[in-house]
Amino acid sequence: MVLDQDLVRHLSEASVSVELETPEMTLNIGPQHPSTHGVLRLVARVDGERAFDVQPVIGYMHRGYEKISEVRTYPQVTTLVNRIDWVSGYANEVPFIVAAEKLLGVEVPERAQFIRLILTEMARISSHLIFMASYPLELGAATPLFFALRERERVLDLLEGVTGGRFHPNFNRIGGVKPAYGSGSATRKVIQDLPAGFFAETRVAMDKVLYAVDELDALVADNEIIVARTKGVGILPPDVAASFGVSGPNLRASGVKFDLRKVEDYLPYHLFDFEIPVGENGDCWDRWHVRLLEIRQSVRIVQQAIDGIPSGPLQAKVPKIIKVPLGETYVRAENPKGEMGYYLVSNGNQGPYRLKIRTASFSNISILPWILEGVLIPDIIAIMGSLDFVLGDVDR
Amino acid sequence: MTSSPSETETTVHPLQEYADRVAEAVGGTAEITFDTIKVKVPSEQWVSSLTTARDDLGLIFFSFLSAIDWSSEVAVGDPFPEEVEDRLELLVTLGDLSEGRRVTFSTDLDQESPAIPSLIEVFAGANWHEREAHEMFGIDFEGHPNLIHLYLPDAFQGNPLRKSYPLLSREVKPWPGTVDVEAMPGSDDEEEPEGPSEENPEA
Repeated sequence: MVLDQDLVRHLSEASVSVELETPEMTLNIGPQHPSTHGVLRLVARVDGERAFDVQPVIGYMHRGYEKISEVRTYPQVTTLVNRIDWVSGYANEVPFIVAAEKLLGVEVPERAQFIRLILTEMARISSHLIFMASYPLELGAATPLFFALRERERVLDLLEGVTGGRFHPNFNRIGGVKPAYGSGSATRKVIQDLPAGFFAETRVAMDKVLYAVDELDALVADNEIIVARTKGVGILPPDVAASFGVSGPNLRASGVKFDLRKVEDYLPYHLFDFEIPVGENGDCWDRWHVRLLEIRQSVRIVQQAIDGIPSGPLQAKVPKIIKVPLGETYVRAENPKGEMGYYLVSNGNQGPYRLKIRTASFSNISILPWILEGVLIPDIIAIMGSLDFVLGDVDR
Repeated sequence: MTSSPSETETTVHPLQEYADRVAEAVGGTAEITFDTIKVKVPSEQWVSSLTTARDDLGLIFFSFLSAIDWSSEVAVGDPFPEEVEDRLELLVTLGDLSEGRRVTFSTDLDQESPAIPSLIEVFAGANWHEREAHEMFGIDFEGHPNLIHLYLPDAFQGNPLRKSYPLLSREVKPWPGTVDVEAMPGSDDEEEPEGPSEENPEA
């Protein structure tokens, strides 16, 4: 065997560096990736297994709703806003319509307010169930998806029965709500109300949701792999969260006991008895757990609202062509994803002069460069998923 | 302001005392419009006022930053019935995380070349919101480290949320508008639809 003398010399001269260095690389995630819930792109610098300087690139779904709403009437804008966060479309409509009603000075009938509240909580339950389905899936556990989506379908069927739409209900009118049942009959004077049996069926569905939540709790909380991947990962301190405007369950997971349902008056939440679940450490585990506990509280609210719903009309008397008087106001609501608000400026016409849409997911994912600094690459997925965002809610 | 409501003039609003306290602390003037406290501060003390709000008033939660283009002449939508003072109004809404207080701070900027120091040192969340206001309204945030487009493509020209920026699809084809408005059930005394509007010239 003849040795290659050049190779021998080369090998003998080579020395092993004790400080191993890995070449720095740029890692691109998305815009199409199952964990991004839409089209979000991340550009990260990676050194070995750690990511640095993660920059989210958004705007792939920007639909310009703030501009379009300037040339639409108020009833038309409600169809736009329930496309913002499409997994809880109903909840998006409420603060917008409340803002318009505030400027108009319309008194909404109590029954309509209760129905809004029941459907908002059902939207929250269905949104959180999506999270219960998708988050374990992103961590490699597929089973919880089937339990969560089965219950979500139950809730969506009820929403569809009332509003006619699973995702985009477009159910609110200025001054009340408009059920699909009995509609199109202005000449025949059919009394409009919710479909017969809605309340009885909702009660059954709520019991089943509670049971499924217990199942999900056992499936996920007893799963050692999920616990290992989420406990202590992606810790978000409350002061950082507040500075970035992170709201909703993500903020409460960091231990801040603050819920707009308790302090704002857009819906009559003060009549109901419910708790605000908070986390202890602000890690991915707490963000999952807070949402699980919130489903139970939402079920409580729905059950109380069904017990106490007053009878009466669903719609206040308002003119057919609605011109909202001059004025400006900001109405914010506790949506499933966090604080959703509308800054509405009216110039006395049929549509808004300016509508600033404050969405929860936008501020919630602006935390990504901060929270992903120096984490392991697999943890990027775990942390991103735990923030529970929807790109429609980010890009508007 | 042209859009001030007159309904709250007779009785003192329950938030009035708090609004006055905030205005005094940050050196601005308070106004309550439909349960929304708006404190107007001079643009020179924008950063210092909001720092005071955060540190002394407990308004630690950064809700949003945006702007309103007040213009008498508009390329889209309807103008105000009366002339308004042309300006860009920059808005920031802050809140606390205990009692549910919220205050909207505002300052007026020149429409031609709006510029103001960045809030990024006070609220980290201002980063994205200022990028959005920069591309949508053309406001220059001095000291912002990364003032590039957020939503819009890099090569996009213009500031879409300015009132002077036309909505091109609307220029080509007018929106049907009021054609498909359905009557509210049970409302006999409803108003008849008004004559032709600019949204529906054929009505």
